[in-house]
Amino acid sequence: MTTCDILLLGVGGQGVVTLGDLIARAALSAEVPVAFVPTKGMAQRGGFVKVEIRLGHDATGPRIGAHGADLILAMERSEALKGIPFAKPGARFVLFDHVWEPTGVTLGEDAYPSQEDVLTALRAACNEVVRLDPKDRPVFHDQLVAANIFALGALSGAEALRALIDPQIVQEAVRKRWPRVAEGNLVAFHAGYVQANDREGLSDGGAA
Amino acid sequence: MTRQILTGNEAVARGALRAGVKVVTGYPGTPSTGCVAHLLTLDLPDRYIEWSANEKVAFEIAAGAAWAGHRALCTMKMSGVNVAYDALISIAYSGTNGGLVIYVADDPGVSAGMPEQDTRGFARMSQLPMLEPSSPAEAYVLAQQAFELSERTGAPVFLRATTAIALGHATVTAEDPIPPREIEPILEKDIRRYTKAGSAICIEQHLASLDRLRAAEDVIFQMGLNALQLSEESGGLGVLAVGATTAVLAEALETADDAENPTVSTLRAVATNPFPVRQSTDLLEHCSLIVVFEELEPYAEQALRVLAQQTGFKGKIIGKLDGTLSPSGELGINDFQLAVAKARGIPDRTADAQTAMTENRVASAPRPITVCAGCPHRGTYLAIEAAVKQAGYAKDEVMVTGDIGCTILGMNPPFDLLWTEVSMGSSVSLAQGYVHSGLKTPVIATIGDSTFFHGGIPGLVNAIQHRTPLTLVVMDNGWTSMTGMQVNAGTDESFQGSGRRVDLEAVIRGLGPDRLDVIDPYDLQSMTTVLSEALRQDGVKVVLAQRECVIQARRRGVLAGRTTVDADQCVLCKRCLEVTGCPALGIHPEGTSIVIDLSLCNGCGLCAQFCPTGALQHAALEGAGT
Repeated sequence: MTTCDILLLGVGGQGVVTLGDLIARAALSAEVPVAFVPTKGMAQRGGFVKVEIRLGHDATGPRIGAHGADLILAMERSEALKGIPFAKPGARFVLFDHVWEPTGVTLGEDAYPSQEDVLTALRAACNEVVRLDPKDRPVFHDQLVAANIFALGALSGAEALRALIDPQIVQEAVRKRWPRVAEGNLVAFHAGYVQANDREGLSDGGAA
Repeated sequence: MTRQILTGNEAVARGALRAGVKVVTGYPGTPSTGCVAHLLTLDLPDRYIEWSANEKVAFEIAAGAAWAGHRALCTMKMSGVNVAYDALISIAYSGTNGGLVIYVADDPGVSAGMPEQDTRGFARMSQLPMLEPSSPAEAYVLAQQAFELSERTGAPVFLRATTAIALGHATVTAEDPIPPREIEPILEKDIRRYTKAGSAICIEQHLASLDRLRAAEDVIFQMGLNALQLSEESGGLGVLAVGATTAVLAEALETADDAENPTVSTLRAVATNPFPVRQSTDLLEHCSLIVVFEELEPYAEQALRVLAQQTGFKGKIIGKLDGTLSPSGELGINDFQLAVAKARGIPDRTADAQTAMTENRVASAPRPITVCAGCPHRGTYLAIEAAVKQAGYAKDEVMVTGDIGCTILGMNPPFDLLWTEVSMGSSVSLAQGYVHSGLKTPVIATIGDSTFFHGGIPGLVNAIQHRTPLTLVVMDNGWTSMTGMQVNAGTDESFQGSGRRVDLEAVIRGLGPDRLDVIDPYDLQSMTTVLSEALRQDGVKVVLAQRECVIQARRRGVLAGRTTVDADQCVLCKRCLEVTGCPALGIHPEGTSIVIDLSLCNGCGLCAQFCPTGALQHAALEGAGT
């Protein structure tokens, strides 16, 4: 069976765990076996968050091993580096290049990696690196659209994931989860999808 | 019957409902919290579900219901078993009537803090059967089988998950709940079974408990819980995988080249206490090399090595006792590959990959956890620090004990205030030991509200009785916060459901400390004054710092005030940030001034109290008290 192991990284408060949930719901609709484990700190925001998603396995442990991920999404620049040991050489790495400075960095006590250093490290580790600029998100009702849904759109176009779940089904999972704000979310999803994948829009998302 | 995505915790809850559970109790603790939390979101008029004051109380309630003939479930994290164990061992010796299941979640790899202990040791000590699911789907099934096993043997049964299973999400096909049995509660007067007064009674119960465990071995075998699969040819590699690791084994076998693993025999053990002697004997007879794959302590390996000695096994056993695998952390596919490579005497191809897992991390910025923007505890930490100084002491000469929960975050920068974290309530008693050591400086203990109700009260009773001078700061935010906002005895009445609020202030006052002050921790000045007075005074002084958890307040749209920055006044000294470490404070992208993230700021105004230029302005909102 085709499998796809996805690693999501970010900071508590960015909606990373929600993305795991959405992909799992989509997998359920698509009848693809799915398991995912979120790893996060405590109730507070601002800590490291990791989600490991295992798609298409008949039997599997919960965690992705070294060089085991087909697809990685990092929602924060510095945290992206933690994904490198998990990347398969042929992996696709999507970086939503948001900078969430810890206080120690703001105070000048700790170092924060530069964009160039991070991109160089990611490119050395895997086949394909896609950088998304947080500023390139579309505006909907005077606000930048949700970052995590934008990133999900980007992720959904990746071959490794498409092979198992049609992007339309992921988009549908987003719509069903928040029916009242579906319009803005679909704009976000569609924009991420088009920007990261150099593809034509999805029929539904395009209409939104 | 529905297919849905459930966590392991939720699957245990659904399994218990399917098994007709009547009473469910627990105390919140990561990673186990989601089980009772899930049940509390459901409409279950025919069941009784509660967050109890602590794990011992929770377990005794569940046991009472089970002795009366009903099925009962009690949930906790591994540390909770330490608390419940006093009752647990006694109840284990008495046995049970209705099915009694203790669901406990261990945390190998420590995602949430506290000792990385292995609850399988408690199952061995208390001679209770234990089942260990390897996925949410299996947790759903085993939860039901745990009740069956409990009733067929008369023993309480442990259901043990690990973090990745408890918090993991996967597809589970859950059937409709089954209502609890309609029975008259059993009122059985039998002091030989339900009391412990007398040597004969206790010895009889101990032997009966051992009989139940022996019976469990047969029942587990009949239920087919453990799966032995022997390869066609003998003399090859065998794997004994335990609980969570059985899923890793399945993954390894699925992905391995057939040429590589033609003759692997496997024993997948999800019923791990009693040790599956019969199937393990067959595995030993069939194989020449055996890898034991289990997380944390090498309990299964020890049992297998004893059995190997008894049966005259001549082969090799690879596990933890030979140093191949670590008794710390989770085990994954790479660990499995390493152990198999060692067993076969071939180089481990995963070694490089393993090394790679630890590299690169240096380059990520450190992200220590701190309290939320607007957290009332921030005010308490800052007031303690200021009071110590005001009372004429240096920070490094005043012991401030910490306790479990969000309140411990005062140990981290920028506060660096708390010295210890031991167990629920320990801050209060540990402080007394420091006092009796002859310290010339005052001793301060800090504790949260839920932790105080859980285990802090006896320590305070003790201090008051023995006139042990100390200052206790109870940081009452009205919720059990760190585990995700559970209701505790002191939570506002409007969230108590059919229960009622216990008045924390009245409880403390009733114990009779020499001094009790109730203060809003956002009021830094008053709090500092009161604390520094307390530090100079003899006797037991309690400061009750009361203000609702900011996360909960904000969920209801309650703001404390408005804090704004006058960019022209800001000289970017960063004092606000240095002192408070508040996540809502940042620096303008153009580096011109401090900025406030309004999506995080609760308007507590603490930062403004440290601004030397008046650039940070604070206005309290009316009626925004505790």
